[in-house]
Amino acid sequence: MLKLHNLTRVYQTNDIETSALNKVNIEIAQGEFVAIMGPSGCGKSTLLNTLGMLDSPSSGDYIFDGENVAGYTEKQLSVIRKKNIGFIFQNFNLIDELTVAENIELALIYHKIPAAVRKEKVDQVMDKVGIAHRAKHLPSQLSGGQQQRVAVARAVVGEQKMILADEPTGNLDSAHGQEVMEMLQALNEEGITIVMVTHSPAHADYARRTIHLFDGHVVTESVRAAEKTA
Amino acid sequence: MFHNYLVSAWRNIIKNGIFSVINIFGLAVGLMSCILIMLFVRQETGFDTWLKDHQRIVRMHTAYLMPNQSPFETVRSAGKMMPAIKNFAKNEIEEGVRLIQFDLTVRQNAAAFNEQFTMVDGSFFKLFDLPFIHGNKASSFNKPMDLVITEALAYKYFGKSDVIGETLTVCCVAGNTATLTITGVIADLPEASHLNTEMIVYLQPALFPENDNTLNTWTSLNVYTYFKLNQGIEIAQLQQRIDYWLNNESPITERFAQSSPSGKVTDTLKLKLMAVTKLHLHAKRDAGNLGDLTPMGDSDMITTFIIVAGLVLLIACINFMNLSTAKASKRAREVAMRKVLGASRTQVAIQFLGEAIALVFLSLIFALVAVELVLPFYNEILGKELSLGLFDEADLLLSLISLALVVGIFAGIYPALYLSRFLPGAILKSSKSVESKGSSQFRSVLVVFQFATSIILVISTLVVYGQNIFSNTMAVGYQSDNKLVLNIQTADENLPSLTQELLNLSEVTSVVFSSEVPSQDNENNNYFKLLEPNANGVLSEQQVINYHNMGYGFFEAYGVAPIAGRLFDEDFGSDSIGAVAEGEVGTASAIINMSALKKFGFRNPQEAIGKTLVSDILGMQHLTIIGVIPDIYFRSIKFGLRASVYTLNPKRFNVASISFQSNDVTSLIAKVEDVWQVNVPMQPINLQFLSEMMSAQYQDELTTAQLFLVFSMIAIIIACLGLYGLSAFTVERKTKEIGIRKVMGASVKDIVALLIWQFSKPVVLANLIAWPIAVYLMLTWLENFPYRLSSLWLVPICLAVGMLSLLIAWSTVGGNAAKVARAKPIKALRYE
Repeated sequence: MLKLHNLTRVYQTNDIETSALNKVNIEIAQGEFVAIMGPSGCGKSTLLNTLGMLDSPSSGDYIFDGENVAGYTEKQLSVIRKKNIGFIFQNFNLIDELTVAENIELALIYHKIPAAVRKEKVDQVMDKVGIAHRAKHLPSQLSGGQQQRVAVARAVVGEQKMILADEPTGNLDSAHGQEVMEMLQALNEEGITIVMVTHSPAHADYARRTIHLFDGHVVTESVRAAEKTA
Repeated sequence: MFHNYLVSAWRNIIKNGIFSVINIFGLAVGLMSCILIMLFVRQETGFDTWLKDHQRIVRMHTAYLMPNQSPFETVRSAGKMMPAIKNFAKNEIEEGVRLIQFDLTVRQNAAAFNEQFTMVDGSFFKLFDLPFIHGNKASSFNKPMDLVITEALAYKYFGKSDVIGETLTVCCVAGNTATLTITGVIADLPEASHLNTEMIVYLQPALFPENDNTLNTWTSLNVYTYFKLNQGIEIAQLQQRIDYWLNNESPITERFAQSSPSGKVTDTLKLKLMAVTKLHLHAKRDAGNLGDLTPMGDSDMITTFIIVAGLVLLIACINFMNLSTAKASKRAREVAMRKVLGASRTQVAIQFLGEAIALVFLSLIFALVAVELVLPFYNEILGKELSLGLFDEADLLLSLISLALVVGIFAGIYPALYLSRFLPGAILKSSKSVESKGSSQFRSVLVVFQFATSIILVISTLVVYGQNIFSNTMAVGYQSDNKLVLNIQTADENLPSLTQELLNLSEVTSVVFSSEVPSQDNENNNYFKLLEPNANGVLSEQQVINYHNMGYGFFEAYGVAPIAGRLFDEDFGSDSIGAVAEGEVGTASAIINMSALKKFGFRNPQEAIGKTLVSDILGMQHLTIIGVIPDIYFRSIKFGLRASVYTLNPKRFNVASISFQSNDVTSLIAKVEDVWQVNVPMQPINLQFLSEMMSAQYQDELTTAQLFLVFSMIAIIIACLGLYGLSAFTVERKTKEIGIRKVMGASVKDIVALLIWQFSKPVVLANLIAWPIAVYLMLTWLENFPYRLSSLWLVPICLAVGMLSLLIAWSTVGGNAAKVARAKPIKALRYE
């Protein structure tokens, strides 16, 4: 589904160059569940943002669905992004002034989908993540776990092929964290590709493959034993 | 501790670059407007307070309120009143003086100048204790024809100050050339004076005939009467005495009681006292159409400008409040840390209040510099000589400092209370926004208020301007272009040769005479009575009607055609009024306008032709109505139309209207001046364009409109600055939301549209609030004008201002919105 080849991302601030990603080569197939781990500052989030086309690489290639998007403009990226990729953030990133249903609908509004269809889809996905009874509530009235379920719903409501999750359980207690992980696993079983950054080895275990980053390099890739799949 | 506050305040000013600039600029411009208006108001309200004993000096105004007649009001009074009242109310009155003012010519060597000449009773300097530079009030003014002049006039004629003993030859005093000896020199009168006299003459009662209408009359109103009250006497006490005298003991009691339905003289004749310090702003209400010695102030205009100044300042204060609370979250950590380290809420509040006051004082310094810079232009618009003498006038300095303090406290109190409320625990623990919903709603309310205020100001400006254009361009009923107006009062026996030589000029198409030209007001009112009964056989009552004297060809020159009958025509030989001996009746012709036609009760113009008006003009006259003309606006349209009778009395011609066809008016004027010089030597020429005389009538409104325009533009600019700052801040605060939306696929266009709509809402709301208020205010203002802009104009004006306000808001917000909308979404999300 996607392939990174010698991808490098350099940040420049006040004459100091920081290399967040250094010649990274990764390939992710359709329907995979990949976890990315590594210490703070190793480039996990930069990698995820680059995969999500929120950030552009400084050099190297990013082949997405056979297209090299590395040199695309923000406008071109946004077209591909909104069709294919859903996001889940550690801090949920819900809009405080919008209700649960409106937050989820946001992912459809910019796709020129008629209102009636939008409503139907939002209702469906709210049922799926078990948040329908909170449809009219504001994010501030929900618990962290509920907020993250809203974020998950928003990430999948547009039938995106891939979900990028940046520490989705980072702000949650273990019970709620597990709940979210099970939801992601269920989505993966429906065929959605999932790439997740996490600090928790237990949650990384839900993934089939784990990529370890250190100082902008991929240091190891481990594939989970087949028996665990059951 | 204060050092710490100062450091913190100064660094905040520097750190918040654009916000500080908006705040300081806004407050400085607001304060500047306020100071400019304050200077103006201070002078207008301080008129004549420099006069010694001003608390005891009053002037007496007259009003005739005869039944079935429009009231006649003036600030003048009849010549016989002063001595009679002074004599009657000895306990109340210390001194009284009459003042007669007229223009005359001063001749010196070969040159001649027009000057204003003030003849006064010998008591003048006892009442108006003006400072003498040479001579004194006892020695310089003790016999008739003593002449006291101002120092400026002394320099003008003699080039020096001490001119006692010098003489001036003037024309004319009671019809004769007179040589007057200067007996004293007084300091120039301050600008804030309702008197504008430069030559003061001890009047010689013998110069006035027994039956003249200046001094020796109970009813003709041609003198200004002043009284100085005895110590401890209130104006109301003297007023009471005068009313009693009128109703019971005056020589005219019987005469006026007869014409009063109630039998009380004071119901038909009012003598009203007004304190001298009130004259400038309040004489207008007693002044009728004749005006006062100097241009009168307008207390409504003063009130309006005080309100405008307050609003401009308020808008600037709101910017400060909005921006301070909006960026409060940025200082929340500072507040929290100060509290953790032991500061009380009061201390924190005082710190922020202090910052606000410091900022206002900084703005005040800029404002004072700005005032000095714009004062010359301001004076030019106002036609005044205002100055900012900060260190000469302690009260001004003091009031500015208090103003800055009040503004600082007003602008700072809400932010101070708001910021000092933050609880340290909540802020230090979380990275959440400390912004409460209430405070952002309060900001929206304030923005709506700012815009509503600005919109009201702009709509008002446009209406005031519109009315001005309307006044200047409305069809007045005659042709006023290409006309010069020449004062012929001094031409005397040279008039025929002057006229002939003017007609010989190739550019001149006609020269016609009249008592007045349009824009010149008069209060020549006379009794007219129809000799014949009307169609129903009823004899009409006599009417008091305004009348003008027009020469042959006047109406033709002004393009006025008769509706019925004919105009004055020399060929008939019967139109002109001549003097008639006692007991005889003369005949002549009269023309009336449509309003007079109605007043006399004619059903149509044709019916009036051939009827006879009886009146006393140079003796008893029977005037045959030969023509009816349309109503024409002889005066400012402010006064509306009035019934008028036009007669032809050559003795009353004061002005010549010279119609011309020429593109080279400069050379034409030179030629006219040459002709004058040759025919009327030793007399200064008084020549004006009719069009300029007519626009001068609307100068007051124009000045008001110009000032309004300036101050409402300032209000809008300050409000927009505030909106700019607020949008910059909001966009900053909305960065996260914008990021999320972009991640969800929103385009730059979507984001900009979203933000612009968000900022359009308060502006749209402001318009909806402002429109009805502005419409109400302006309809009320327009009531002052009998002929006014159609109220339908308010609709497009409101819509246009609404559009304009949106455009301004969009362009203000658009830049900020686009900047953030274009940024990569990850920047927005990382900001969190």
